[in-house]
Amino acid sequence: MQGHLHPISHLIREANAIFYDMGFTLEEGSLIESERYNFDVLNVPKDHPARDMQDTFFIQGEPGMVLRTHTTSAHLHYLEEQKKKNMLPPYRGVAMGKVFRNEATDMTHEAEFFQIDGFVISEEASLAELKGTLEHFFTKLMHGKTEIRFRPSFFPFTEPSVEVDMRVTGENAPEKLRDRWIEIMGAGMLHPNVLRNYGIDPEKYRGFAFGGGLDRLAMLRWGIDDVRLMHSADLRFINQF
Amino acid sequence: MKISRSWLQSFFDAELPSVEKLAETLTFHAFEIESFEQARGDEVLDVKITPNRGHDCLSHRGIAKELSVILNVPLSRDPLASHPPLTPDSNVLTVSVENRELCPAYAAAIVENIAVGPSPGWLKERLESIGQRSINNVVDATNFMMFELGQPLHAFDMGKLADKDGMYEIAVRNAKAGEKLLSLDGKEYKLSPETLCIVDAIASVPIGIAGVKGGKSAEITKDTHDIIIESANFNAAAIRRTAQALKLRTDASVLFEHELSPEITGYGLTAAVELIVKVAGGVVEGFFDIYAEPEERKITLFASDANKILGTELTVNEIEQVLKQFAFVYEREGERFTVTSPFERLDLRIKEDLVEEIGRIVGFDKVPVTELPPFSRKAEVNKRFYWGEQIRQELIVKGYSEVITSVFTEKGEREVLNKADSVKPYLRATLLENLTAALAKNLHMKESLGLQEIKLFEIGTVWGKSEESTVVGTISEKEGPVEVLLEEWPGLSDTPSLYEKVPPSPTTHYEPLSPYPFIVRDVAIWVSVQTKEEEVHELVKEEAGRLLSKSWRFDRFEKEGKVSLAYRLVFQSFERTLTDEEVNNIMEKISAALLKRGYTVR
Repeated sequence: MQGHLHPISHLIREANAIFYDMGFTLEEGSLIESERYNFDVLNVPKDHPARDMQDTFFIQGEPGMVLRTHTTSAHLHYLEEQKKKNMLPPYRGVAMGKVFRNEATDMTHEAEFFQIDGFVISEEASLAELKGTLEHFFTKLMHGKTEIRFRPSFFPFTEPSVEVDMRVTGENAPEKLRDRWIEIMGAGMLHPNVLRNYGIDPEKYRGFAFGGGLDRLAMLRWGIDDVRLMHSADLRFINQF
Repeated sequence: MKISRSWLQSFFDAELPSVEKLAETLTFHAFEIESFEQARGDEVLDVKITPNRGHDCLSHRGIAKELSVILNVPLSRDPLASHPPLTPDSNVLTVSVENRELCPAYAAAIVENIAVGPSPGWLKERLESIGQRSINNVVDATNFMMFELGQPLHAFDMGKLADKDGMYEIAVRNAKAGEKLLSLDGKEYKLSPETLCIVDAIASVPIGIAGVKGGKSAEITKDTHDIIIESANFNAAAIRRTAQALKLRTDASVLFEHELSPEITGYGLTAAVELIVKVAGGVVEGFFDIYAEPEERKITLFASDANKILGTELTVNEIEQVLKQFAFVYEREGERFTVTSPFERLDLRIKEDLVEEIGRIVGFDKVPVTELPPFSRKAEVNKRFYWGEQIRQELIVKGYSEVITSVFTEKGEREVLNKADSVKPYLRATLLENLTAALAKNLHMKESLGLQEIKLFEIGTVWGKSEESTVVGTISEKEGPVEVLLEEWPGLSDTPSLYEKVPPSPTTHYEPLSPYPFIVRDVAIWVSVQTKEEEVHELVKEEAGRLLSKSWRFDRFEKEGKVSLAYRLVFQSFERTLTDEEVNNIMEKISAALLKRGYTVR
């Protein structure tokens, strides 16, 4: 009898296949990360609340090192490799993996969870292309025609910043999702400071970036009611996938 | 931030839309709305102000201004448009600021001969509508102005300060070692040299924690006659550190933590003085004003840049229309705009900031869906991910199921600081313990899962003293736990050139798990070779009823022209623990039905 893949692995596998076909290279990054990659290059100022001790896990005896709070930190590692190979923009990258928030856990919050972050850097990148990219991705991932809607938001690393809602329609759409607007990601145009920190001239190139929780996507896609099941190692759960 | 609709209405001549419409308008053009509710003849919106707009939008004026821009309806009054000069100079008060970095501006006014008493009804209602308690007319007036303009204000009882020949002196300085402050709510705070204080300089006694909380010693009471009203600007990071260190976050500290323009101090002070004189009487003696030179921020924006960033085709006039709705001061030359950022809009610094304003005001629904063009080169294959996928496939085929377990544990080489739940602060050095625990956990459910053997694997991160690595761990009932480095897994292919196509998960939805225990029963019967086996299973399921959570045929053999079929039945309820007795009854019912159909139950 065959074994079963964890739903998060199913999702990462599918998401990677969709993005690979769109020209995005997958980067995994590391879980212990420097504040430079996790915060500084992303235009998160030293006194931003995101750096508070209660939100970020700092590592004992290793000043300046944290458990990454998002997979965006992987992007610069990828860009540095491209530069070593003298590869100029355009770039397309996607990172998926475990991230951490130092907070109390409940049915919808875990201290460790999974995220997907992607970016495009090119001469033409725009919010319109971001919409097109996400519409294509979610249409494939959610097995139903998906519309994307933006609402104003704020992230230090993007300007303009938007919240991303999706609405899946069609017979194959998961029942709990069908025909409803659901908040799914944060996104925006990469802030010129971030491009500069990436070593890219913001006068010449633009970029967009997006990121969101994979656990939440899995919960929406399959109607999973408790995020803690992800780390439960319970085969009654895993063997359903 | 709680925002009252009636309060907002006071900024407009035109009738505002309904609260539902306001919520929708703000959601799609400015901020998320956490909730809105009816509150005693008023309606209150809970607006989630983004951190970049704390400068100007943690106030009713800020939200009114947003609505004015979005709805293109002019404000009937704008308290930030202009203010009377802070004159005359006070003859009784001087203020000194030790470090202007920490306190860029400090404006104060003296009002004499006031009458402290209850606030008028309208003022009480305003404060109560947003969940604030009315205290007295003077304190309410300063609080009102804070929620109106976003500038914290504080009133001190001047009579409780020390004087020197009728002169009073306030100093803004860091606390000295050993200084304490009894706050307005009666708590004593030990002040550290990092704490910025408002000090009665003649007595050298702190009377307030700058930007956070006032002190009891200069509290406004019904016996107060003369007051000093403070409207100051403090350094955001310093206030944030103080509020954190003292575990004292107040409405004022939250505002200062978001960084306010020093220029609002004068607007806040004159508006507060005017209101105090109106509700508590008194005469303005004079002002003392330490102010920062206003910084002028000009931003150049080409209409074509806005269109490139947004991916839109807005005309230059459409873009100019948005600038007009903001009432920005700007110059236009062809498609080039030079926009002066209003002093309270500290967030507007670069062209991208303006593009965001244009995008959200015209509406992000105007941003078209543009397909991402094909990439000029091929994406690379991530070797380690590819290997992980290879290993997953290999193990799945061998009957292993994948678990993901927590990286936090009781012992390890690396440790995190200040863990919120204060357990398991170490990062795991191995997967084996978690796999062993996972095996034990699943073992007793084996029957209900229909498995012959529990086999598990995890591909996860572990940490040594200085390195982070990915390992593959496996465990089964027959073989103990084993782990190897991902890259040392035997048989990995060398140079993957393409990801293998794997079909997506066929699962459409997840069935929730019951928290109650299950009961397993078997039933075995003889049937004739002609019997349709599906019909037998269907009959069993039908008779078992809704408490049957799972069933499958686990055995079948033929002997002497007859077929033996054996089914395993798992019973479980979502509401309660089942008893043996009720399951026995169900089993009897199944047997009876099978017998009736002419099958022999073994």
